[in-house]
Amino acid sequence: MVNRIISVIAWLSIVFLIAPLLVIVGSSFTETDFVTFPPRGFTLRWYAEAMVAGGFVDAFFDSLMIAAATMTGVALIGIPSALGLRMGSTRTQTILRSMIMAPLTLPAIVSGIALLQVYYASGLDAPFVGIVVGHILITVPFFIRTVTAGLESVPNSILEAAESLGASRARVLFRVLLPSIIPSIGAGLAFVFILSFDEVTMSIFFSNPEIMPLPIRIYNYIEFSVEPVIAAISTILILSAFVLVALLQRVFGIDRAFAK
Amino acid sequence: MTMATQQHPTSHARSSKGMRNPPRGRMSTLLSPIATFYALFLLLPYFYIFWLSLTRYSSTQLYVPDLGLHNYIRILTDSYYLGLLAQTIGLGLFVMSVTLLLGYPLAMRIVAAGKTAKPILLILVMTPLLVNVVVRTYAWLVLLGDNGVINKALSGIGLIDAPLPISGNFFSVAIGLVHLSLPLMVLSLVSVMEKLDKGLFEAGESLGAGPMKMLVGVHIPLCMQGIGAGSLLVFCTVISAFVTPQLLGGNRFSTISTIIYQKFTFSMNWPVGAALVFVLLSLNFAVILLHSFMFREK
Repeated sequence: MVNRIISVIAWLSIVFLIAPLLVIVGSSFTETDFVTFPPRGFTLRWYAEAMVAGGFVDAFFDSLMIAAATMTGVALIGIPSALGLRMGSTRTQTILRSMIMAPLTLPAIVSGIALLQVYYASGLDAPFVGIVVGHILITVPFFIRTVTAGLESVPNSILEAAESLGASRARVLFRVLLPSIIPSIGAGLAFVFILSFDEVTMSIFFSNPEIMPLPIRIYNYIEFSVEPVIAAISTILILSAFVLVALLQRVFGIDRAFAK
Repeated sequence: MTMATQQHPTSHARSSKGMRNPPRGRMSTLLSPIATFYALFLLLPYFYIFWLSLTRYSSTQLYVPDLGLHNYIRILTDSYYLGLLAQTIGLGLFVMSVTLLLGYPLAMRIVAAGKTAKPILLILVMTPLLVNVVVRTYAWLVLLGDNGVINKALSGIGLIDAPLPISGNFFSVAIGLVHLSLPLMVLSLVSVMEKLDKGLFEAGESLGAGPMKMLVGVHIPLCMQGIGAGSLLVFCTVISAFVTPQLLGGNRFSTISTIIYQKFTFSMNWPVGAALVFVLLSLNFAVILLHSFMFREK
């Protein structure tokens, strides 16, 4: 009896998580002018419309540009930080690391407003810079955490070997340490890209008609209406997320990540 | 915020001294970019907001620098703001309980699933996590609206005459937030359940414990760390969430976050908005402290 109830709730939970996404995917093919499920008829009209109307394609490229600038900024700030952290004693490392991770405990809505006030006060008119600075602030702790984990796996003995063979400190840093953490830098940057592409709260404050990432474009639409064209855009985003997760499962094995 | 409170292995430092003979100069050079960045874009903004929270609202000049705690006193004595605070905490507790009730059985089934089923279940749980929050909220707008899928379907089969009140209220915000945070709860629980010693359950069963007794007496107590971590994560996500309550609550249901946004945009009452910022932060830190007190490692 208990086992039966557990199974039923487990299935209901899966349905609850997935069904809303399937409703959106389904209703994106409707021939009607309004969102309805099950869809009436079948048409790809809303996908065609999404490509030309509403500035969604522009917004997509805005998102890509913001993500690229964020990744550059995060790398410039984050890689030296991770290397610097590695040089400290355990005690120093712990203190510095918790300071670097501090932004993670702050709600994005709050950091966004704080940043916006300073932006206003500075009199600058550079919304792109505002968004990118906000995105760097939110993502740089994740990046440093990933790269630091990569650095931990480089044994001290390798560095000592290089040093004892006469390599200078800078040479050890750039020819030994840096190359050995390229994979974790790559993983960290991929993470930053996803986070930046997905970010909403921070972007809301700085977006204007000239620079508007995709999620904000959708947000502005659905505040007033729920047209099928949004269902088409959403379907594309849902399928990308699914493909990404399935890919992560194939390459890294999500199930193994949780095992001991 | 999403990942903020997740546990992560912090101190796997292998050497107690770091690299040999750390040159102090080099280390501070390497850390100076992030120090400068945080000073400019984290410390400075937060100090400015804190200063704003001490000023007084003025309808003509936005604020006057008449410093004091009046905004805080107002929030903590005015019944409107106390209600807002209670509403936000209530929403957090409600969503936390529902995600725990739904997530615990799902996590149990995921951990017990076979070689083929487990990756599929995990993909189904993690996909919503990577779908943008705006898209997920849109899905609930489509489902819950007065002319939404659910109301249309129910009136189509003649079950209801008037649309159910499931939009722009506590219910719609709560359901959107449960959808948002259920994967976080499930993953927190799965990571703890995977480490459980299966032998304990066999021992319990061989000693004649029924399924209910096994669940309440053995399984749940062993998963307390996961329950604690997941609940903290969900609660903090919910009270700090902005997009979902803003879109699904409309003008009729507010949380601290949506009122902060309103104070800084439409009503332009910066001082009270700034004070609310620190109320929300204190609430977050209070819950984190409570959690570390309740679940401190023995």
